Amino acid sequence: MSLVSLQRDFQQEVLTRAPRVADDLAGAERGDLPARLGAYVEGYRGRLAEALGVPYGALRKVMGPDAFDDLARAYIERNPSRHYNIRYYGADLWQLVVERNPGEAGAALGELARWEWLLADVFDAPDDAPLPMEALAAVAPTDWPNAAFTLRASLRRVVLATNAVEWWRWANDLASAPAALAPAPEATWLAWRRGTQTFFRSMSPLEAGAVEAVAGGATFGDLCEKLAADVEETEVALRAASFLRTWLSEELIASFAIAGHAG
Amino acid sequence: MRNLGFGLGLRPDHYEALLADRPRLGFVEALTENYLIPGGRPLHYLERIRARYPVVLHGVSLSIGSTAPLDARYLADLKALVDRVEPQWVSDHLCWTGVDGINLHDLMPMPYTGEAIRHLVPRIRQVQDLLGRRILLENVSSYVAYRSSDMTEWQFLAELASEADCLLLLDVNNVYVNSVNHGFDPDEFLRGIPADRVAQIHLAGHERQESFIIDTHDAPVADPVWALYQRSVRRLGAVSTMIERDANIPPLGELLDELAVAERLAGVEAAA
Ligand SMILES: [Fe+2]
Repeated sequence: MSLVSLQRDFQQEVLTRAPRVADDLAGAERGDLPARLGAYVEGYRGRLAEALGVPYGALRKVMGPDAFDDLARAYIERNPSRHYNIRYYGADLWQLVVERNPGEAGAALGELARWEWLLADVFDAPDDAPLPMEALAAVAPTDWPNAAFTLRASLRRVVLATNAVEWWRWANDLASAPAALAPAPEATWLAWRRGTQTFFRSMSPLEAGAVEAVAGGATFGDLCEKLAADVEETEVALRAASFLRTWLSEELIASFAIAGHAG
Repeated sequence: MRNLGFGLGLRPDHYEALLADRPRLGFVEALTENYLIPGGRPLHYLERIRARYPVVLHGVSLSIGSTAPLDARYLADLKALVDRVEPQWVSDHLCWTGVDGINLHDLMPMPYTGEAIRHLVPRIRQVQDLLGRRILLENVSSYVAYRSSDMTEWQFLAELASEADCLLLLDVNNVYVNSVNHGFDPDEFLRGIPADRVAQIHLAGHERQESFIIDTHDAPVADPVWALYQRSVRRLGAVSTMIERDANIPPLGELLDELAVAERLAGVEAAA
């Protein structure tokens, strides 16, 4: 028996429970060989289930522990881990949530799963420093139209159309329970980190569009042009400057550059 | 390898207490994968803690014994972390964790064969060359034994360490667990491993089953493991020693008390 096939057989048995490796093991005469193999087969599932509980604490609370355990078990049978770090194991859980829970409630649970995974991503996203408010004081008025901004590396955006975030708040003892898992007016949510602490809020459609433009590399001039489609012409520059002030005070921006110059 | 004295596994539950109480500790052992992430809170704390205590890195995903090629992404990430943290040393387990691109996130046992040694040696060398230092490999607990094994676990460890020129992390709990699970004399194990290559010792607790022991690392160190630790110190001399608790994490003070027991037992041996 080569090492290659031994490992393949053992892994297959752990993954599928189908007997593959017993012939290669000593102590077959002992009655406890199935229990010993079970330590690997069940240990595998137990470890992955535990890993899923870490980022999905609110989903678990909202679904109830038994329903969550069933979900986790189904996910584990279907998805072997392909990353060396167990931290990334639950990335696709929301898909199974939606598949197993049709209807409005399932849609909200699916969004709750996506929301929690996004928060986990924010939690350990790359570190960077916020751009200080004063940094822009030195920008010459003629340079403003060419100023472009880099958003913080931890910043994530997601469009949600259910009350998933309300349920998340409830699960984290930040709000009372909503009446039901239900649709809600579509909104773009923003989550990011200041230092090691995670923040989030929803945005107006106008601000969501502005953030999207900035994320895509738009300059301050481009941003004003975009806003002009929705805002009175006399208000455009004020509105853009007001967004920028908010973003700076909330530490959403990491750096800026004047197109054609080093920033 | 330098004796760092008595340390603890670094667990997020204890970040704040470590920084606030500044307990006397010879070193802390950080779990490599917890810090193989882009940024945020874990790395923030690790940076602050490494300013106070010597740090060693302990991984679970090297999969040194797998017949799959070494994971290039893992090695690159590990190397970057080692460059950043500058640990006293780097350890992982003598095991395999998966093949065919799948990770079982478990420490799967190796057969104790010449074939396995020939497979492991160049892989260990490759990692040591990449990191520019010798690594420590830890003996793992196992619940099954392979029919193909034609040497004992300690013979396997001794021959491997010598051929690959690597160091050993001796988990005394795992020696005890395996001595029960596979019916050998743990003292024969201790006598059989090369004392000069043991650079660190793990102490941990386990869970007794019907006829075998599952290594859970979730309980205080058991009495027979304490006794075996004392005999390990007698055999190996003073080696960096730590308590490794992976689940049911108690308050820091409880682990410090447990660590004091280790220090006392080692002291008794040193004085004898
Ligand atoms: Fe250990």
